Amino acid sequence: MYRSQTLAVKYFSAAIALFGVMTITGLIAAYYYINPDFLFGILPFSIAKILHINTLVIWLLMGFMGSIYWFLPGELGRETAGIWAAEILFYVFCAAVAVVAVVLIVFQYGGSNEAALWLINQGRKYVEAPRWAALGIVVIMVVFAYNVIGTAIAARKTTGIITVLMIDLIPLILLYLIAFPAISNMSADLFWWWWLVHLWVEATWEVLIGCIMALALMQLLGTSRRIVETWLYIEVALVLGTGILGLGHHYFWIGTPSYWLTIGGFFSALEPLPLLGMVVHAVYDAGAQHMKTTNRPALYWMMAEAFGNFIGAGVWGFMITLPQVNLYAHGTQWTVSHGHFAFWGAYSCGVISVLYLVLQRTRNLAIVDGSLWKWSFAALNLGLVGMTGALLVSGFVQAFVERAIGGSTLDAFISGQENAWFIDGMVARFLLAIVFTAGYVVLVWDVLTLGRRAPAVAAAAAAQ
Amino acid sequence: MSALATLEAGLLLGLYALLAGIWGVFWALAQLRKTPMYGRLAIAAYGLHVLAALTIILSTPLGFGWKSLIVVSSFAFLATPPMTWRFLRHTHQNGQAET
Amino acid sequence: MDFDDPAFWRAGAISTIAVMSIVLIMLTIDSLSAISPGGSHVPTYTVINQHIDYKFDSNRGFDVPVIGGAEPLFGKALDETAAAALIDHGKMVIQSRACIDCHTFFGNGAYYAPDLTKAWLDPAWGGWQAVTGADTREGAMVKFLMDPEQYRTWTRTMPNLGVTEPEARALVGYLKWMSAVDTNGFPPNFNQIEKRQ
Repeated sequence: MYRSQTLAVKYFSAAIALFGVMTITGLIAAYYYINPDFLFGILPFSIAKILHINTLVIWLLMGFMGSIYWFLPGELGRETAGIWAAEILFYVFCAAVAVVAVVLIVFQYGGSNEAALWLINQGRKYVEAPRWAALGIVVIMVVFAYNVIGTAIAARKTTGIITVLMIDLIPLILLYLIAFPAISNMSADLFWWWWLVHLWVEATWEVLIGCIMALALMQLLGTSRRIVETWLYIEVALVLGTGILGLGHHYFWIGTPSYWLTIGGFFSALEPLPLLGMVVHAVYDAGAQHMKTTNRPALYWMMAEAFGNFIGAGVWGFMITLPQVNLYAHGTQWTVSHGHFAFWGAYSCGVISVLYLVLQRTRNLAIVDGSLWKWSFAALNLGLVGMTGALLVSGFVQAFVERAIGGSTLDAFISGQENAWFIDGMVARFLLAIVFTAGYVVLVWDVLTLGRRAPAVAAAAAAQ
Repeated sequence: MSALATLEAGLLLGLYALLAGIWGVFWALAQLRKTPMYGRLAIAAYGLHVLAALTIILSTPLGFGWKSLIVVSSFAFLATPPMTWRFLRHTHQNGQAET
Repeated sequence: MDFDDPAFWRAGAISTIAVMSIVLIMLTIDSLSAISPGGSHVPTYTVINQHIDYKFDSNRGFDVPVIGGAEPLFGKALDETAAAALIDHGKMVIQSRACIDCHTFFGNGAYYAPDLTKAWLDPAWGGWQAVTGADTREGAMVKFLMDPEQYRTWTRTMPNLGVTEPEARALVGYLKWMSAVDTNGFPPNFNQIEKRQ
């Protein structure tokens, strides 16, 4: 096994651990809606939420990095360049994440000065991590880009997929620099902040997961390189063709000119089309294999990726993207419903799929199957879809009661939050979050024990 | 009330897109399986999708431009599965020819 | 056009991305002037010296901010430099306390606490003046922000974030400025309750 692949396993381990932190902090945040005095005075809602959304970003980034470190040597026929630096930085990364989390929990906030932004909390959504940590992330990503590009240079070779990846990493890293400035003007702040968030999760990250899925498909289904490359270019064209100006669907209400309502709404409404293509593609791939494969969890999680992406990002986004609807749905639990489902389908399922591919090799398994992965697959997906549904109910009610009727005053907000349907939705969300958590626990158990179970069980699985 | 109608339009739009996805999945399954059931389910799904589109056009407070977009999108959703499938078969046949 | 050649699709991807990116950059340049203080949608910071309202505009079909006569914050008009300093300070408070992780600004943030876009104009502050014993709306807001646990609004309490008086004043100034931003009608129907009264 290449050193790069050993590092990949470490990144996946850290990623799955952070997935757990994300889940626990999500449970805490969700429970606050049910019992607002829970941990009040100890850990405010805001800190639980910050931990929840920052670990979301980091666990996925680590999953992406693990995937690339895993596939890169095989793609380019040699050890990853500069792997020694990446190995050291992995531990630095983990330590930094731990320090940031502890500081956030213990200190929570500082005074209204630069020092607080540098050391404790920057207070911009998803990028709250203090500036010293943001700087660390830039270093880690630059070294990661060097690992990829340097390997191609040293090998005097590249592939279509790796070229797309290399080009994608440049805007990905440059966009992250938007995490640094403290812009006084809220309109300008949010304008640039959306360049980072949208052009990450609806552009550069989509290309990145596209590259990873292309690499994974070649391994899982033996698909030819020419085929995955062709489809990668088509996907990149369609996703970025709709997503770059789809950025405008965040520019309806932040003080920007009103032409964004038309432009953003129009391009955003087109975004589900390529995702439908991906679903059809997934059915084709499944059918061509008759769902037979040596790694069933990897295949099923990849199917979940295609379907979850279309439904979570495409369908749920389509509900709220037209500006007439968004005027009422904006900034409600409807948004939360979409966000959870979209991140899950577009990214989490794909990363878990690759995790199982990696495990097949590291545990030396001819067949990857069993009953544990099925339980975790069911619980995680049903839990997530259930949470989404519950949040849709709460969000719809909130949009109507708070925005449409109440006019978004403080009293309107309160009446929305105290509405019986809203409360029922938030309670249901919490209960389904527990189902999701159970799925996570089983996932971890499966990952820890795969290939290491009692010989009789392993032999029976292999015989199927 | 216009606001409630607008919010209901949001739900309808979701249903519209979801039915387009179901149409695509059943259409793809119909290409894989011999039984005519999937083909019929696909047509039923697209039929419901058109019904959702008509409901959006006839009874939501969206403007003319957006309703036109719904019509055009319905055609795009209709064409996407067959176009994707045809090109998939084409690329895979070429891919196999090379190996 | 050779559909079989991946290079054809690669060219398609490159040209699509190029065109869309150029359009995005052009629209960004245009938007930046609109969202700069003094631009078409965002007022200068000295707007905090004036009365702000939010009224229906029949031409545009939604509520828009209306800037009125002199109404200096805390009874003292600020020049451009002082106003900008107050706004800068207010934003630092917002970031250091991570307000956006409970509240929303222009509907962006977290959904546990109310949206603050028009908080300056919220009808509830009238009652808060009596509760806090303040002479003015801004006085009530300052008292609340400095000790929100003492002035609980409802079962979900805002925690005490150690906001000092200068910080609270800066925050209030920030909220007043923010309420004057033209958000294309968000949030809708804001004045319904007042109109019914």
